[in-house]
Amino acid sequence: MASDRHAPHRTDMSSLRHHDTIPGEILRWLIRARGYFLKEVREIRRQPLLIASLIGGPLLVLVLFGIGFVNSNPVLHTALLLPDDLPADVRTRLIAAVRLNFTLSNHEYTADEARAALARGDLDVVQIVPRDIFTGLQRGENPTIQVYSNAINPLIEGWIQYLAYAQVNEINKALLTEQMRLAQQQARSVSVQVALGAERLTELEGQVGSAERAMIQRDLRTLRDLIMQLRDMTPPNGMVAGQGDEIQRLRTTADDAVRSLDHVNAILDSGSLERGLAEIRESRELLALLEQQITIFVSIAPETIVSPLQHRYQNIRTEGSGQASGAYPAVVYYAPGVLALLVQHTAVSLGALALVRERLMGAFELFRVAPATMVQLLIGKYLSYTLVITLLATVLTAAMRLLGVPLLGNWQFFAVLLLLLTLASLGVGFLISTIARSDSQAIQYAMITLLLSIFFSGFFISRDSFAGWIMPVVAIIPMSHGVAGFQALMLRGTLPGTEVWLELALIASVTFALVAVLLRRQFRAT
Amino acid sequence: MDQPAHNAIEARDVTLMFAENAGVFDQTYTLAEGAILGMIGPSGCGKTTTVRLALGLYRPQRGSVRVLGADPAAFTTRHRARIGYIPQQFVLYPNLNVVENAEFIASLYGMRTGQIRKRLNELLEFVDLADARNRLGRQLSGGMQRRLMLVGALMHNPELLFADEPTAGIDPVLRSRFWQYFRTLRDDGHTLFITTQIVSEAMYCDYVAVMRQGRLLALDTPHNLKRRALGGEIIHLTLANPAHLASAVGTLRRYRHVKEVRYVPGTDRELHVTVDDAGDWLPEVLNVLENPDGPNIVVESAEELALTFDDVFVRIIHQWEAEETGKQS
Repeated sequence: MASDRHAPHRTDMSSLRHHDTIPGEILRWLIRARGYFLKEVREIRRQPLLIASLIGGPLLVLVLFGIGFVNSNPVLHTALLLPDDLPADVRTRLIAAVRLNFTLSNHEYTADEARAALARGDLDVVQIVPRDIFTGLQRGENPTIQVYSNAINPLIEGWIQYLAYAQVNEINKALLTEQMRLAQQQARSVSVQVALGAERLTELEGQVGSAERAMIQRDLRTLRDLIMQLRDMTPPNGMVAGQGDEIQRLRTTADDAVRSLDHVNAILDSGSLERGLAEIRESRELLALLEQQITIFVSIAPETIVSPLQHRYQNIRTEGSGQASGAYPAVVYYAPGVLALLVQHTAVSLGALALVRERLMGAFELFRVAPATMVQLLIGKYLSYTLVITLLATVLTAAMRLLGVPLLGNWQFFAVLLLLLTLASLGVGFLISTIARSDSQAIQYAMITLLLSIFFSGFFISRDSFAGWIMPVVAIIPMSHGVAGFQALMLRGTLPGTEVWLELALIASVTFALVAVLLRRQFRAT
Repeated sequence: MDQPAHNAIEARDVTLMFAENAGVFDQTYTLAEGAILGMIGPSGCGKTTTVRLALGLYRPQRGSVRVLGADPAAFTTRHRARIGYIPQQFVLYPNLNVVENAEFIASLYGMRTGQIRKRLNELLEFVDLADARNRLGRQLSGGMQRRLMLVGALMHNPELLFADEPTAGIDPVLRSRFWQYFRTLRDDGHTLFITTQIVSEAMYCDYVAVMRQGRLLALDTPHNLKRRALGGEIIHLTLANPAHLASAVGTLRRYRHVKEVRYVPGTDRELHVTVDDAGDWLPEVLNVLENPDGPNIVVESAEELALTFDDVFVRIIHQWEAEETGKQS
């Protein structure tokens, strides 16, 4: 250094001295806050990899999810063990019913092999159909399809139980439909005999010889047995409810016809036809009614009798377009959640490291000596991180739009929600930063916040799945409101509920106040 | 220490104890405006604690500190605007360049962009960092980082500058330049409080405070401190004839202006003679020895002994330890 060097003091520093005006003080207040703001923005700008990973990371995950996600139901590798006595057509239909919900293994297993494969994890489900299934049904038993699993995931176990229930319902429906088809075949042949029986009774009302009377009596007895068989095969009254009175009364009419034919038989046995003419006439009329009811019964499709109640699904979102389904693809549905997750996690991570890092490097000492205040520090940091996160979220939202994620709602409300979520999340991050003693502790707290958010925010698991007492935990997670709000604005085009706005504003305010109090203590002389 | 018209710092009986024998104890000192006070002592002796007490980062448990006429714990923003601080470690930002780091510090003092730009150009020239203005903090050498810290601390042109070991870990050439910067600032009216572990840097200061185990052992000008440590000034005598050594010692010990005479270890004809002022008493000492009517001892050479500050520091420490031992016994 040259010996004639002078300390630099040529710059007019008079405005820094102590005859300051109030506008000057305000200006300096703003300059200090802006100093923190610019410092943070410049630091982040100098880390392009950080920015790239903040935008590219979540986007890449979303794209991979969109490409890779093919099925929202679990794939359950299943062994179906069928008995040898099962007729070929029933076997085929049973396999088709199981295939609706389960992925059937091509390998042939014995029961022991299948259980061993289940224990090894080669199979997810084993279904064993019992022997003599139809004999059991005829005996009035309830043959049971045994379903085994080795699931450890409660959701998967729930799926298996639900799918097995749905599958057995389908099989039961198929069996009943088959039985109904057989009953209708039987009814068709009985119907011809009933018509003949009615003619026979008409003949009895006239003059018939003893040989002819004996023949009629034999025919009527045969008819009585056929009606009894038909009666046993027809569905009970409860099952055919809704199919009309004629069908509902089929069994009753059959019973009445049998009783009436028994009376006619007794009259024929007694030999005094003249005294039984009224019963014979009544029996003829019952047979005519039965024939009429059988005609109606056989005219109805067996599927209609077994499943009288049908359903038709319509998503009202797509009612105008004529499409029944209206839910979004999974990648679109989860996109608002990913956006909320990105905003919260970035804000919490930046906030969590912001103060603890400067405290550890010793910069706090410099801040405490300088005339800057703790509030200027906080405002500068809040503003800079809000700007950075808003830019990231804007880029991510634009990229999501390219992937087909809509923004049906008002974009101004979207921007306000994004701002509130950012401020609330920054508050949580700064709170972590004021209590963490080291970088690693701050990161650990940020990760716990992330874990808490993934479980309780409604991102993957619906908030309705949780008990009422856990709701306060749900409410203090900014992402809970972010997910609900973004889904409403982006996917439904509706305004989020008042509680979303209020609770985010509350989290942002309370955390800011807490951070200010804790930081003020740290700024004070010790 | 001369009584100044105004003191930038006044500390009285200041004690701040972190643990037994850890902290600072009964510190009383003043620092005149426009002077450099160098606080010298080994690591952990309480130098940084003293600085932090003066900056208001710590409150004393006993005693009082006043800096620029105010209690540091109750500094207003206006007080703080008059103070600059260089902490011990580099606390600026590795991802900001030299200009951005300096701008950030300046903005904490409320400086406007125009003021910053002008001032920064001057300061970067002053500390020879103008060519590195766009270099990132992490790309700077240790010496450059120290200079950048100095720039940051000087941006708002503080009246009082605290520098906590600004020369630690840097080479002697750069250390010398730092002290030139500090003396230039002092010459322009700034007051500087500088701590260091490097004892030899005491010679650059107007006042030197020696610290050990939280206690201020001595505070004076470097010259006075040296005199106090040695009990005066030392004349190094070399006799022509070793046979005259005992006679010379006897003669000098009888001479009333000589405070002490010592043999120089490892030699057979050299002596250290302590007097109040070597410049004043050297001719008299020679006259006494070479008096043809007296001892008539031929002196081959005589000169004032130039002791280093390390020697002075060691002597002060030894004297203090001896006093402490005496008190305890």
